[in-house]
Amino acid sequence: MKLTTGFVLGLLLGAAGGVAALYYNPLTEPDPPPPGDTDWALTYRFPKGDAIAFTHGAHGRLAAHPPGIEELWESTIGGAALAVLTLRDAAGAPAAFASRLGAGSPRTDLLLEGAVWSDSWLLTVPGEGSLFVRADSNLWPFLKEGVVPVWYLQRPWQGPAEYRPTAGPGTGDRAVVVGATGRFAALEGSAVEHYRLERFGTAGAEALTGEIFLRLEGQVAAAP
Amino acid sequence: MKAALLLGILVGFAGVLAGAHLYPWVDHPRLPSRTSVVANGGRAETFLIHLPADRIQSAGAAAVGLRATAYPAGAELPPELGDAAFLAEHFKIRDADGQVIGIAARHWTEADGGPAAAWTLLIPSRGALFLAASGEAARRVDTALERAGQRAGQQWSGQLDVELAGAEVPGRIVGGSEEFARLGGTYRETWKITGVSPSGELRGTIALDTITARSAPL
Repeated sequence: MKLTTGFVLGLLLGAAGGVAALYYNPLTEPDPPPPGDTDWALTYRFPKGDAIAFTHGAHGRLAAHPPGIEELWESTIGGAALAVLTLRDAAGAPAAFASRLGAGSPRTDLLLEGAVWSDSWLLTVPGEGSLFVRADSNLWPFLKEGVVPVWYLQRPWQGPAEYRPTAGPGTGDRAVVVGATGRFAALEGSAVEHYRLERFGTAGAEALTGEIFLRLEGQVAAAP
Repeated sequence: MKAALLLGILVGFAGVLAGAHLYPWVDHPRLPSRTSVVANGGRAETFLIHLPADRIQSAGAAAVGLRATAYPAGAELPPELGDAAFLAEHFKIRDADGQVIGIAARHWTEADGGPAAAWTLLIPSRGALFLAASGEAARRVDTALERAGQRAGQQWSGQLDVELAGAEVPGRIVGGSEEFARLGGTYRETWKITGVSPSGELRGTIALDTITARSAPL
């Protein structure tokens, strides 16, 4: 009996230690390179300001926008999200539009990788052309600091907080950029993202500034 | 007692770490892929979009025509855009059996070298597929409907196929992620319109017929 009690007690202590180790695990902290001075920086405010539309499959948990937008209720797409964004240049003028289609990534591994979210961006500069961006983001720091305390422990948001979540899939933990049409057709490159989360509540992000820094390389094409 | 406690701690600690590593945290439901092998090599797969049921959002410059009407209300492009020729459309996508399997974005713009269109298809259980093509002329669907007898503000029913990619030069598959990461190929885009409501809402099916083959990784 004593042996069983000791083993069970040890099991509980060991499991608690394991959870603590995962919580403070340095292997799951993203460490992307900082943006360069010559990168093309585009910013957006979310959800108010630059989110033309936002929908997802998290019924009743996150707010969708605008009212009446179709939710992603089918089981095959319930883990996905779609954001349609106006991206602004350094002067604050609309410079591009982005459709950001994302879903949880099978790369997610809470011991070695973190909580990985994969986004596929379609980004268009009206009158110039389009490009694709494949970006994996490690959301583990945000889950620890935002989602768990605010959603599950009912604590107030302790922000603002800044995140650099980009975790590949390109070299150096950068996102991959591929030209699609117009003057971007023959271009390739990479990108990193930066978030400043000012307010987070029970319905999700209430005030966030997102930035994407694009580094394009290659010949500029003359035709799409 | 002490040995049992230590053994328990070890097993508990290792078990949590192993679980965190091995548990399939992300496992999107997947339907069987409706693909077929084509005679000259490659894999054929058709993605369908039913209109209006699968439309999630759309908005564009007024000059682009019927499809530019903001949907749903409140999803308009910012007024600073002015008359820049741009159209963004978002849909749910279905397999050949009509089952919803993913979501898609389509952007169209009039670039210096001519119109251009690009698609991103995301199937959560399989990855993303990127498509690009020389886009259709502005108001291409509107023009075809007018030729078929449709009048602005009036209901129209019929059968009209409008090919937006593939008629002269097929669109190209630029690449993708996960299952689609090493694929290239071509695609055709056909809008099979069966009706237009008095408010201009289209009824019908968009078919994306893809032929993919292995290529260099994206």
